[in-house]
Amino acid sequence: MGTIAFDNVSKTFSGQTEVRALEGISLSIDEGEFVALLGPSGCGKSTLLNLLAGFEKITEGILLFDGKTVTRPGPDRGVVFQEAALFPWLNVWQNVIFGPQVQGISRAEYESRARELLKLVGLEAFAEALPVQLSGGMRQRVGIARVLAMSPRALLMDEPFGALDAQTRLSMQQLLLDVWQALNTTVLFVTHDIDEAILLSDRICVMSARPGRIVRTIPIALPRPRSIASLTSPEFVAYKAAIMSDMKVTHVPQT
Amino acid sequence: MSLSTGHMGSKPTASRAPGLVSPVLSPAGRRSLRQGLLAVVLPALVVAIWQMAGKDGSLFGGVLPTPDRAWQAWKIWAFGSTGLSLNPYSGTWLANLLFSAERVGKGFLAAILVAVPVGLAIGWNRIASGALDPTVQLLRPIPITAWLPFSIAVFGIRDMGAVFLIALGAFYPIVVNTAQGARDVERNLIRAAMMMGAGRWTILRRVVLPASLPSIFTGLRIGLGIAWTAVIVAEMVAVKSGLGYVLWDAYYVGRMDVVIADMATIGLLGLLSDRIILGIEGWVLKWRRLQSFHS
Repeated sequence: MGTIAFDNVSKTFSGQTEVRALEGISLSIDEGEFVALLGPSGCGKSTLLNLLAGFEKITEGILLFDGKTVTRPGPDRGVVFQEAALFPWLNVWQNVIFGPQVQGISRAEYESRARELLKLVGLEAFAEALPVQLSGGMRQRVGIARVLAMSPRALLMDEPFGALDAQTRLSMQQLLLDVWQALNTTVLFVTHDIDEAILLSDRICVMSARPGRIVRTIPIALPRPRSIASLTSPEFVAYKAAIMSDMKVTHVPQT
Repeated sequence: MSLSTGHMGSKPTASRAPGLVSPVLSPAGRRSLRQGLLAVVLPALVVAIWQMAGKDGSLFGGVLPTPDRAWQAWKIWAFGSTGLSLNPYSGTWLANLLFSAERVGKGFLAAILVAVPVGLAIGWNRIASGALDPTVQLLRPIPITAWLPFSIAVFGIRDMGAVFLIALGAFYPIVVNTAQGARDVERNLIRAAMMMGAGRWTILRRVVLPASLPSIFTGLRIGLGIAWTAVIVAEMVAVKSGLGYVLWDAYYVGRMDVVIADMATIGLLGLLSDRIILGIEGWVLKWRRLQSFHS
């Protein structure tokens, strides 16, 4: 459960000027695999995630989730947004149980799980707080908890830690590693941060822009379970050097 | 401002004049006391100048009564007078006030019940927007005063005519602001709800409506102001009771002291009802208040 298959998928945004956002994307992700989409802004990595989430429709190709064509968003694919996108008028607890509630699941069924999840993300003491009263990192932890409350078969994360400061980001990465290592759901993780991609994923798909393509796939064979301590291991640094030279990231300005 | 000036503003005051302000008050209490005193200065000044400019209880050769005369007129209007009085409105203040307030209440409530759903539909659904919005925009420029003859012809000199005008006047700002609020709902909030399995109806009820509430309240406040305008206009022409009726009738018989007392009553009622809406807004939109700079 939670398998993803893009087969020669393209996406064109129509409008005043047509924009070819994605071109010939083929990508399969196995159950329980953690795949990072890495690339500069504007390379279409968020669009790719939005197609899988069902927020946008593909222009060409085939896109399957668990063998079925993706037509609309659904609780089987939990999306974590960059700015958390919590409902500001609901408190933490109400945000977390929103999914089970609208799906008509009984309170008895979701309540204990939701409490566990709040504990897992370290926010039991903040159940009554409104999102505006939380820090960015705490909001994102609520964003993760509310998605997990639906027991999704895949997590789609769109630069979820991109707006956080470096320290908070590290602790969130550690939290995600712990959560994922415990649950083993399929994860598609969009990021522009090379360290983050290496630390978290089993496989990195490097994308290029205009039109967005996957130019290279790099398996990351760092041992599991990982932690943020892995960031300084020699293997990690070797991966980073390879990817940086691959993406032509240098300190010399390009001419 | 209040985040930082709370300390900066109150400290020098406290150290300069320690005896003036009661030491029991907290900085916030002192601040609100200060704001309250500031608010009274200008009206008090105007009334004082007005009073002093008058001669023998009136200005402009007897046209305009001084505040104390208006105050006397209000007392008789409100509580009646002992003995013979020439004031035909004696003791009718509360009854007329309640007539007007009831009409405003009915018309305003009717406006809310229609305008909020219509506004949400226009802002949220393309078909509803295409079907309803052009008509609303076409009718909106017709001022409620222009509807007076229509209203009297259809409803006669009865309550319904006034309520109709009030509802119509309040409808437009509420519908326009609600539609704007529904259009401006953050895309990711809708996407988040869809991702969690919410259907269109659930999204409308549980995401679009609460997200639109700040705009809806803006519309309510503007609409309530128009409702008070409408009730006075309607009562001057289309019914035989209420503050608007007394206002015009008193003018007709040359009782400018009652006119002034009536105007002051309308102003205070408008202020009071706006405060009530603000109070409800503050309670409903706690999340919003916490977000704002002034919290």
